[in-house]
Amino acid sequence: MTELLAAIEGSALATWTRESPSIWAYSTILTLHTFGLAVVAGANAVIDFRLLGIAPRIPVSSLRQLFPIMWWAFALNFATGILLFMADATTKAGQWVFYVKLALIVLAILVARRVWQSLGQDQPADGRVSSPLRTLAWCSLILWTGAIVAGRLLAYL
Amino acid sequence: MEVPALTAFAHWLGATPAASWINQSTWIWPFCETLHFIGLSLVLGITGFFDLRLMGFFPRVPIAAARELMPVALVGFAMNAATGLVFLIALPEQYVHNRVWWYKAGFLMLAGLNALIYETRLSAHVLAIEPGGDTPAAVKLIGAVSLVSWLAVLYCGRMLPFLGDAY
Repeated sequence: MTELLAAIEGSALATWTRESPSIWAYSTILTLHTFGLAVVAGANAVIDFRLLGIAPRIPVSSLRQLFPIMWWAFALNFATGILLFMADATTKAGQWVFYVKLALIVLAILVARRVWQSLGQDQPADGRVSSPLRTLAWCSLILWTGAIVAGRLLAYL
Repeated sequence: MEVPALTAFAHWLGATPAASWINQSTWIWPFCETLHFIGLSLVLGITGFFDLRLMGFFPRVPIAAARELMPVALVGFAMNAATGLVFLIALPEQYVHNRVWWYKAGFLMLAGLNALIYETRLSAHVLAIEPGGDTPAAVKLIGAVSLVSWLAVLYCGRMLPFLGDAY
């Protein structure tokens, strides 16, 4: 395992990401990762706060339009996340908080999928949100916040 | 460009007890940084949604309804203003001599002015637009300027260590 991680970290792509003086290498990859985070967590915040009753006049069914934006931003963060991991594989793989971050993201994505499915079903015309859907919204807010916290802690623990 | 008064101010600020308190703590900086990331997600997500609506996306969402989320964005902004102030107090010289930090401040002001123009000149008219109704070109422009400014704020902030000349 250690050898594999070292090989990943020593690969041409990982070395370029980490060491290239080009503005398009590490700094841009990191900035794209931050941009993706803002879109994913931000779009989720819009959906979750609506489901929790702030801005009740936003039609619940229209929230579905935010998901494609979210999936694209998530794909961006998946790709840039892999590059950032590769560049520092031996260290990141040894950090427990890295696994916490991954677990929180997996759970958050499962919750988002569930919300997506629920929003596809008929919603009450009065704009009210069912109790299971509100619970999912709370879970989503907590999980994405946790993922951000874990991601930041990666740089400090 | 070196402004003596600014250099003196940065020097004074960096020597305050507040600055040393922040710098001596292991956890204040990472804690504030984490809040800064959460705050930026709220600002970008909610204002981004509103901006896209002004630009004509999500036509089924009444503009007045989308605007009801704005207090959440303001909470995010307050978080980032407060934590940003912590960073500035702790390491003023790192920022005031960094041109990218001033670009960031400029884009923040642009976003603020743009929002002010919207709120004072256009909002009342726009809120009356029926769901499904298109927005006038001036309103689309306001949305686009806001979206671009906030993305530029994010870009300058994240690129501070890489583009700046003070690190």
